[in-house]
Amino acid sequence: MSDYSMKDIEWAKINRDVLASLESPRKEFWIVLGVCLVLVLCGVAAEAYQYNEGLGVALMDRPHFWQLYISNFVFWIGMSHSGTLLSAILLLTQADWRKPIYRFAEAMTLFSILTAAIFPVIHLGRVWNMYWVLPYPNERTIWPNFRSPLLWDAAAITTYATSSILFLYVGMIPDLAICRDNAKGWRKKLYTALSIGWMGRASEWLAFRKTYVLLACFLVPLAVSVHSIVASDFAMSIMPDWHITSFPPYFVAGALYSGCAAIITLFVLLRYVFKFEAYMTTEIMDKTAKLTFAIAMVWNYLNLSEYASIWYSNDMFEKEVLMEKFFGPYHWVVWGMLLCATVAPFAMAFKKVRHNMWAMFWLSLVLQLGMWLERFQIVSPPLASNHEPWTWAVVWPGLVQLTITVASFGWFTMLFLIFCKVFPSVSMYEVKEMVFHRRKASSRTEMEDLNKVKDEMIKQEEGLS
Amino acid sequence: MRRRKKHFLFGVYDDFDKARDVVSELKMLDLKEMVVDNIELYSPIEHPEVEEILGEFHQPIQRFTFFGAITGAICAFLLVAGAAQAMFTVQPQGGKPVIPLPMDIVITYEGTIMFGVYSTIIAFLIYSGMPKRLKKYYTQKVSEDQIGIEVEVVAEKSDLVRAALEKCGAVEIREVTQ
Amino acid sequence: MTLKRMLENWSDLRKQDYYEDEPYMWGMSIDLNKCIGCGSCVTACYAENNLPVVGKERYSTGHSMHWMRIERYWEEPEGEADIDIKESEYPERGAHYTPMMCQQCNHAPCEPVCPVAATYHTPDGLNAQVYNRCVGSRYCGNNCPYKVRYFNFFDFFKDLPSPLEMQLNPDVSVRSKGVMEKCTFCVQRIRSAKDAAEDEGHRDYIEDGTFQTACQQTCPTEAIVFGNLKDEQSQVKQSWVSHEVELNHFEQDKSEDVRGYRVLEELNVEPCVMYLDRVRDTEV
Repeated sequence: MSDYSMKDIEWAKINRDVLASLESPRKEFWIVLGVCLVLVLCGVAAEAYQYNEGLGVALMDRPHFWQLYISNFVFWIGMSHSGTLLSAILLLTQADWRKPIYRFAEAMTLFSILTAAIFPVIHLGRVWNMYWVLPYPNERTIWPNFRSPLLWDAAAITTYATSSILFLYVGMIPDLAICRDNAKGWRKKLYTALSIGWMGRASEWLAFRKTYVLLACFLVPLAVSVHSIVASDFAMSIMPDWHITSFPPYFVAGALYSGCAAIITLFVLLRYVFKFEAYMTTEIMDKTAKLTFAIAMVWNYLNLSEYASIWYSNDMFEKEVLMEKFFGPYHWVVWGMLLCATVAPFAMAFKKVRHNMWAMFWLSLVLQLGMWLERFQIVSPPLASNHEPWTWAVVWPGLVQLTITVASFGWFTMLFLIFCKVFPSVSMYEVKEMVFHRRKASSRTEMEDLNKVKDEMIKQEEGLS
Repeated sequence: MRRRKKHFLFGVYDDFDKARDVVSELKMLDLKEMVVDNIELYSPIEHPEVEEILGEFHQPIQRFTFFGAITGAICAFLLVAGAAQAMFTVQPQGGKPVIPLPMDIVITYEGTIMFGVYSTIIAFLIYSGMPKRLKKYYTQKVSEDQIGIEVEVVAEKSDLVRAALEKCGAVEIREVTQ
Repeated sequence: MTLKRMLENWSDLRKQDYYEDEPYMWGMSIDLNKCIGCGSCVTACYAENNLPVVGKERYSTGHSMHWMRIERYWEEPEGEADIDIKESEYPERGAHYTPMMCQQCNHAPCEPVCPVAATYHTPDGLNAQVYNRCVGSRYCGNNCPYKVRYFNFFDFFKDLPSPLEMQLNPDVSVRSKGVMEKCTFCVQRIRSAKDAAEDEGHRDYIEDGTFQTACQQTCPTEAIVFGNLKDEQSQVKQSWVSHEVELNHFEQDKSEDVRGYRVLEELNVEPCVMYLDRVRDTEV
């Protein structure tokens, strides 16, 4: 039934191993960080150029009012989903294998949401007026328009970002206390301030557990609502192939899918870089991969049922867009998506693949590529063949958009690297809990085994006498 | 009036079961001699059974959550419905009513969650007594793998308690008066 | 206070058709039989509304700004063609022209999606765009089924050579980069006609034909008719009635020999522009 593989890890060793990951970055760390910084600066330069010249330099046009910025936004929001959502669901269902991997997954959530939040801003025509979207009181009683799905987005993302930060932070307080007890210099000051005097008293633990579960209860419906609201940007419109009822669940499944793939990527990298083999075990990878496989199948089902419903409805406009998707100028994007996100996940049906870390690493990258292409094919092809045939046009994203896209990956990696060196990327206290409970459970089974042997001996003796 | 000085004993144990024995020992002692004012348990991980030993803690965090969420729902709805008709002129859009209820539900939902989360965090800070300064006798062993028992005692009888703490195999005992 | 006002007007605010009792709703009717595709309406629109001329290069990248455009569709011949299509450069029957501009939908899909409420419905049935409020999220442009919203991708007026700024229409603002714009039914002319009517003491009534939109004024064949749809006597209303096109319908129920239709009516966007179908000699 349950496995006790991690029951023999010493608690002090957990502290040592995880705290070691915070110390003295290697040369490679600085190189990667530098490369990321350069990418971000390239993105800043591209944005400055676009700011001065106008959005035309991004090569968007009519009817392609939206392009890569929006598909990147959806991609990063999607990536932010699995971290918090899976952590919360697995917490509520008491799956203890979540414990070694949830911290970095939640950090990933936070940073991808910070990346995603950039895109709607740089996508605006008049960035300098972006604060008009916020509902601030003013003497002219001018308010934003709450009927717009973009405002729902803003509300949902604000709620999600702050709640995710709080969920991550609250879950990290006991670990910050451990860091505080072992740190020196500026780190000591930082951790002392952040751990707000956590001492592990019983009253603290009880309040902590209650709060943590309550937050998880909020985060599950919240995360689901966030991506369905992002889906509403499309589903609430009147455009053929955007106005689709199944978009919200489809987006949520897609978000979990790409997020799980991202968790696998970071799982392998952290395990390799920080030598966390003792905590991030093959069994945990196995379970994560199975979960990813299940979610991939849900996503596949929703994707194919979308095609099927368009096919059956025989709506002239929607069918046209669908045919254009498969055989039109964007066909390689759609076929690429189907290859990477529909066919590739079947590799995870094999145990050999699930247990091979580097196979999983490359597979997860393929899945993410597939999901990125999916976001592009959601945004662009329907715009290219809309209701009005006279405006049909095919446009590919320009250099400015591509630079900013690449820069967003640099930005995410940079934030994540800094996080890994400042905060413990594996939850120490929860791994300890896991070890504690597994040890207890295993000693219980040992005890039961002993009792059985005893009973049998007694029976034998009775039989003899 | 001067505050009466408090006297604390802090014992460190390397096992939760030992700590459990100490607490029951101290309770027995308290019944006989009335020496113990308050017992607190420090641990590196959560032990849900601690309430059985130390007695129930009164922490109605979920009540905060509930009322916070309801406040959030009301505030969000009033904001959205109010803003729709407080706009410089009333703005009907898309052939729909000025206050479209189905759309307002979305923001109301988000507001519910947002206020619910914030009030939960506030309740957490209130009932866990944080933020606070570290105690003088706090040892970092407690955040690693050992259990600490803090006992507030009557100063004159501290020897009795110390003996009891030692009897159960304390690794270390610290004594502070403040 | 806001709350009190909201509760007092609750039933009004929940009403579907908020401007039911207003005296005006501007509408148009375009006769495609009369349209010869000359493009003078487009030119008039450029002159009247200060539209930037973007040049060949930007036109080819899709950054053109014509609020009104002539859409050209080639008509396939029915049955056997007289000339082999493959040999000829153009199909036998010639082109079919559709002047297309903002249809001033009563259920405009572009309105509710604007995050800052820069586009809204005016009491006289126009789909207004507030340039000063627009932040350029371009959602409205995506959600417009006619794709008649135009976005200032560049600061086009910076490129205007020196004396040409003198020919700009002083009644119409010049738009900067990052702002969405579209046909307004020449709102500046509507407003001044309304002001004049108010001065004369009949606020709720403007006589039909007092003013014209720029495109209507310039059309050599008088294919475009513009007026108040709520005025039973107006030419445009009579044209709508005679061609059996009604508001608040997404499927017109009518006899066979009338030509009126509204573009993409089945999307239930309630456009205020009616087109009269072109009849070919072969079809008669």
